[in-house]
Amino acid sequence: MQSEVTSQAPGTPVLSGEQIEKTVTGPAGSLTILHAVDIEIRAGEVVAIVGPSGSGKSTLLGILAGLDQASSGAVSMLQQPLGEMDEDSRARLRAGKVGFVFQSFQLLPGLTALENVMLPLELSRHTDAKITAMNMLTEVGLAERADHHPLQLSGGEQQRVAIARAFVSNPELLFADEPTGNLDAETGQRIIDLMFDLRKEKGSALVLVTHDEKLAARCDRRLVMDSGRLHAS
Amino acid sequence: MNILFDTRFALRSLRRDIKAGELRVLALAVLVAVASVTAVGFFTDRVGQAMVRQASDILAADLLATTGSPVSDEISDKAASLGLATARHVRFPSIVINPQDESQLVAVKAVTSGYPLRGALKLAKLDSPEVAAPLPTPAPGTVWVDAQLVNILLLKQGSTLTLGARDFSVDRLLVFEPDRGENVFELAPRVMINNDDLESAGLLGPGSRARYTLMMAGEPSAQATMSQWLKDNHDTIRVIGVENGSPQMQRALNRAKQFLGLASVVTVLLAGAAIALAVRQFALRQADASAVIRTLGASRANVVSWLSLRLLFVCIAASLVGIAIGAVAQLVLADLMETWFSLELPSPSLWPPVIGVITAIAAVAGFGLLPVLKAGRVPVMRVLQRDYSGLQTNAWLTLLFGLIAAMVIVWLQSRDIRLTAIVVLGVAVMLGVFALFGQYLIKLVRRLAPARFKLSVAGLQRRAASSAVQLAAFAIGILALLLITLVRVDILSAWERDLPANAPNVFVINIQPSQVEGFSQQLLSQDIDITGMYPMVRARLQGSNGEAATGRRTRWEYNLSHSDDLPANNEITAGQWWDGSETGLPGLSLESDWAEDMGYDIGDTITFNVAGVEATGVVKNLRKVDWESFQVNFFVVAEKRLLQDMPETYVTSFYLDDNFSTATASWARAFPGIATLDIGSIIVRVKQLMDRASMAVEYVFLFTLLAGICVLLAAVQSTQGERIRESALLRALGASHSQIRSAIITEFVLLGAMAGLLASVFATIIGWSLSRYVFELPFQFSIILWVLGVVGGALGIGLAGYLATKKVLTTPPVVALRHT
Repeated sequence: MQSEVTSQAPGTPVLSGEQIEKTVTGPAGSLTILHAVDIEIRAGEVVAIVGPSGSGKSTLLGILAGLDQASSGAVSMLQQPLGEMDEDSRARLRAGKVGFVFQSFQLLPGLTALENVMLPLELSRHTDAKITAMNMLTEVGLAERADHHPLQLSGGEQQRVAIARAFVSNPELLFADEPTGNLDAETGQRIIDLMFDLRKEKGSALVLVTHDEKLAARCDRRLVMDSGRLHAS
Repeated sequence: MNILFDTRFALRSLRRDIKAGELRVLALAVLVAVASVTAVGFFTDRVGQAMVRQASDILAADLLATTGSPVSDEISDKAASLGLATARHVRFPSIVINPQDESQLVAVKAVTSGYPLRGALKLAKLDSPEVAAPLPTPAPGTVWVDAQLVNILLLKQGSTLTLGARDFSVDRLLVFEPDRGENVFELAPRVMINNDDLESAGLLGPGSRARYTLMMAGEPSAQATMSQWLKDNHDTIRVIGVENGSPQMQRALNRAKQFLGLASVVTVLLAGAAIALAVRQFALRQADASAVIRTLGASRANVVSWLSLRLLFVCIAASLVGIAIGAVAQLVLADLMETWFSLELPSPSLWPPVIGVITAIAAVAGFGLLPVLKAGRVPVMRVLQRDYSGLQTNAWLTLLFGLIAAMVIVWLQSRDIRLTAIVVLGVAVMLGVFALFGQYLIKLVRRLAPARFKLSVAGLQRRAASSAVQLAAFAIGILALLLITLVRVDILSAWERDLPANAPNVFVINIQPSQVEGFSQQLLSQDIDITGMYPMVRARLQGSNGEAATGRRTRWEYNLSHSDDLPANNEITAGQWWDGSETGLPGLSLESDWAEDMGYDIGDTITFNVAGVEATGVVKNLRKVDWESFQVNFFVVAEKRLLQDMPETYVTSFYLDDNFSTATASWARAFPGIATLDIGSIIVRVKQLMDRASMAVEYVFLFTLLAGICVLLAAVQSTQGERIRESALLRALGASHSQIRSAIITEFVLLGAMAGLLASVFATIIGWSLSRYVFELPFQFSIILWVLGVVGGALGIGLAGYLATKKVLTTPPVVALRHT
């Protein structure tokens, strides 16, 4: 799992979490969603987190990606401890180095396919954003759809744009949350192939949340989430 | 990230916003607000400037200094040093004799070159009815005379008139003299001569009753300096400025301005409400995008500037279009008024468009800042889990920001802090009441609704909070439209009714007591209805409360009258009218504004001097006089016993539909000494002004109408997203198109009817208070208003709702469920 583009040496941890707890307080009292989760992802590694709905997979993903904060425990991303950062600092850390693929695509409806792909480059002040983004779109086979808006694209096409957006900045770390959840089996398969091919090419580490066992089987490691506890399998 | 990226990114998003119609309602609301503010601003600005000129016309100058002795050169030099243009005139009574040796008392006015400094004389040759080319001043040796004298002395072009020690040739007929109205009771026929002829005619000896006037015109600041200087250094000189212009015109114009101002304030507030709804909707829809781009590395500040820039761009673009529309619109308004002012309106200043843009930015910032800031704080976890809250705003803070924004924009328009507070708090309370009653109404309708409306009523109930907000917005929109109808139709017509078609257009004064009977008979035989014959006693003010009056007050002559009854069209504002049984000091009744100016109140004693005899009375009551009625009115009316046996003449007024000169020609010969004044031209002008002002107001209300429609559109749009999701779900569950369509239409019809009902209640209350307290006009209850409100509301909102939610039905369920 070595890459010619990643800046992290193979085996260096790009993401780690120690004793991550997440407790939320609701009208029915407090509820612990994550119990003392320990996790480490190394550069270029592909890890699947599987588990039933409501087991806490997405919550863990959010905390690992710095989208949410743990109630206790420590998370560090690209050797930076997230716990001491405010939201904007965490966003700055992600810019251009962390990619996302979501179940519901999350493309900005106001921008064209090309502009959506340019976005991470522009946020990390990349100089040739347009050319690089166009090359990326060509790579996912959507060059001729560059000027289309998300709503003019099919679900599979939208997810390909999302993948192009995730990989365009050669991220060291990629998070994918049920990337095929909204797609039919055949399209889903093609999307997964595309994602794995690109990941291999870019050498990014990938954290993949899914409940598709076949998909999990393609990963280097498979972690199981069950009632807020994480087990290796 | 830098501002360049933010701007580029904002522009990029904006392109899509425009295509998708995302900000259409916002842009429309901004446009309407700016266009209205600009048009009304331009217009009142220009009319305001023209009004001052008009008032100057009535004085034939900007400022007059009048005194009983020649105005010293020191004064005219001072005026000249301030850069004021000057001219002089002297007025005095004298006798003219025609070649047939018939004589007539006349009011002579000797003018210097430069007269009039403002306005223009209209002249004609006596043998031709056409207006002749203007001349600067009467040539030495010639006189200009008015129609009254021509009729009395049967003058012709070139006739000889003897005035003082020399003969003059009659050269021109004075058709119009701008400052004739300045001293309405100096009503003997006019003879105008050149100032240089005064000496050779030996007209002004010592002790002659002449009024010398220095006329001045120039910059307002110089006028103010001069006016103050005169008051400080020459307290025997009476200073008259444009503010003492004709009270009828002032009132009519002030009312027109009130109407326009009100229309504009309502428009701006409505547009503000539409902007508030639209901006909130925009921020709500951007909540997800905010989470996504922050996930990809953007900061909160990036999101806030990205959203703000988009709003700013829309605001600026819509403002520019609004200014253009406002500028064109004011041309139409100006055109309506231009003919009335019979002069070109001054060009507008640059302020109105600036105020327009500031208004737009204040509205968008005030109503939009909070939602935009909040959009920057939407939890990024939303990209993973939808149950993380979206845009959440603090209701109280939103209300506070909204109130401040509303205050700013209404103040910019009205420049009146009290009015601003009343209007804004009034609207805020009303919105609260609407929302509160709305909730109860929705509950009530749910309980009473038949089974087949269940789906619609359930929809209302499900979105209880947004339904109540929507209901309040609809009610405000309908309320504005109803008020327009009410103000336009009822209040404007009440205003016009206020000035009867047969308002008196002729005043006759100087009728001797011995002529009263005969003259009344004469009028009766000509089928002329008179409003009454009023006694008039000329008096000087001697003192009040036992102290002697000082300064120029003692020099002025007042016209007192006496009466047993309260004069028609007068209303007691304080104290009581006398019933004839009183003893002690006789009572005085004062016109309330005059009493205030003079500093008199009930219980004060005032002593007048009538031809050397003292007459002391006590103020028993204050009266409000309806000057617009054009009836004979007096500042001071006394009990009869105060003025018993004092030298008095009579005055009357009536409506004459015949030609003035032919009708009055015979009277002057039959009743020597009486003077007639044609005020028909003033009435025609006031009436014309009212007509044109009404048109202007109706025209400005078009903007209010548009703003009302903006609010309705914004309110309909505010639940569109929710409806698309719901209808997708219902269709996925098997509901047919027609079922959903009829549910939506029914829901909007119900909302419209409820909003209409609330709006009708408030329109009636507001209409009543406006008539009663603001415009001081009688109020008429209108059932049509209620029908319009409820039925119009149901149909209008039903249609608007259906049209605006067509997209709800055309969005495929799968798209709606996947993308929302």
